[in-house]
Amino acid sequence: MIRFQDVNKWFGDYRALVDINANVDRGEVVVVCGPSGSGKSTLIRTVNRLEEIRSGAILFEGRNVHAKMSGAELNKLRSRIGFVFQSFNLFPHLSALDNIILSPHRVNGLGRAAARDRAMALLDRVGLANRAHSFPAQLSGGQQQRVAIARALAMEPPAMLFDEPTSALDPEMVGEVLAVIRGLAQDGMTMMCVTHEMSFARDVADRVWFMDAGRILETGTPDAFFGAPQHPRAQRFLSDLRSR
Amino acid sequence: MLQGAISIISENWLLLLVGQYPNGPLGGIAATLMLSVLGIVLAFPLSVLIALARISRWRLLRAPATALVYLVRGVPLLMIIFWVYFLFPLLLGANVPGFATMVCTLVIYEGAFLSEVVRAGIQSLPAGQMDAARALGHSYPRAMRYVILPQALYNMLPAILSQFISTIKETTLGYVINVPELTFAASQINNRLLTKPFEVFLILALTYYVVCFGLTAAATWLERRIATRRAGPGAAPLAIMETAG
Repeated sequence: MIRFQDVNKWFGDYRALVDINANVDRGEVVVVCGPSGSGKSTLIRTVNRLEEIRSGAILFEGRNVHAKMSGAELNKLRSRIGFVFQSFNLFPHLSALDNIILSPHRVNGLGRAAARDRAMALLDRVGLANRAHSFPAQLSGGQQQRVAIARALAMEPPAMLFDEPTSALDPEMVGEVLAVIRGLAQDGMTMMCVTHEMSFARDVADRVWFMDAGRILETGTPDAFFGAPQHPRAQRFLSDLRSR
Repeated sequence: MLQGAISIISENWLLLLVGQYPNGPLGGIAATLMLSVLGIVLAFPLSVLIALARISRWRLLRAPATALVYLVRGVPLLMIIFWVYFLFPLLLGANVPGFATMVCTLVIYEGAFLSEVVRAGIQSLPAGQMDAARALGHSYPRAMRYVILPQALYNMLPAILSQFISTIKETTLGYVINVPELTFAASQINNRLLTKPFEVFLILALTYYVVCFGLTAAATWLERRIATRRAGPGAAPLAIMETAG
């Protein structure tokens, strides 16, 4: 469903992504992990072209996201890929409900009433139906991130990308957000998730990609990766995590 | 002297308020406020367009907008008044009244200055806001319209109000092209009385001060309200108490 083909990206002289070749199948949950600065976030941001690439191709549903295309085509493509940010990025001037209504209404042309019904159902799904009229500043971090997930889901995307969705949260709020993501995984959503939550990765991931210095060094099932990592860098990374 | 000032006001209040209206053009405070309001209201949409052009990725939009802003910021307002005063009638082939000249000048001048305020307002928002809007499939213009500008303009309200206060003071320069605004009215009175310049210009200064101070107070109130709202209910008073204690 998402296929990286010989993807290379540079920031000036710095090679941020190096010969990435990988695949996310439909319904699969891939957790991308690795030390900070390894290119995980950059990789996930190239999938909906928030970052451009130097060479290669990224196919989403068979279509190269980085091909030359009109703005309208790119917007259409982006609306089919849900993206959840580390810093939530809710629109602070809109209520939780209006954050969710805005895009189905304005991008997909869904009627306001229908968009509202869908938004309420989604808020209910993330357990925040009672906070529909709250503004982001009135919500906790965990609640904001759950609204952000509902906002992405409102476009009914066939795939979701999570860029460190719990890294900006206080520890006691991590669980409520992971529970929502876990629920999505159980419903068969195709997902890529950059995270440092290793127990979450172990539970939810179908496969783990380990990245360092812009390369995917190792891929495997969570059992294989956490049980017996092959690459020395992965072994060091995991032992560092455990000794913390 | 106070008595002198009071008698000047009681004899000339109508002139100070509306000029020679209805027997002549509208003047006095009414003209000053109308000039300022028209200037800022017409300059505002222009300033948004200039700001959007200034941050555009297309050089073709960016270059002329940047040139305009630098040009206007680099010359005194009085110069622009003269340019408009002498150039517009030539270009239009018709007589342009002083009031219209002054409005045009203010729109150009305030448009350039306000555009920098708007640009700062847009660029001070976190990049994640645009990212989030684009990731949801909004086009750039739509993201601007529904996500970026509503936030930026709201945050900029105090700065816009303070620009409005500057505009009120800048209308005094209309005096040099005989626009019958407040300063012009005061000067008329002074020319008639000849012996009481101090009283006349004290009245003039106080009038400007009262209007501008009132608006400054409103700007401060607005700024505080916005700060409170942004922090979420309950948060701001607590934070203020903490720093005060």
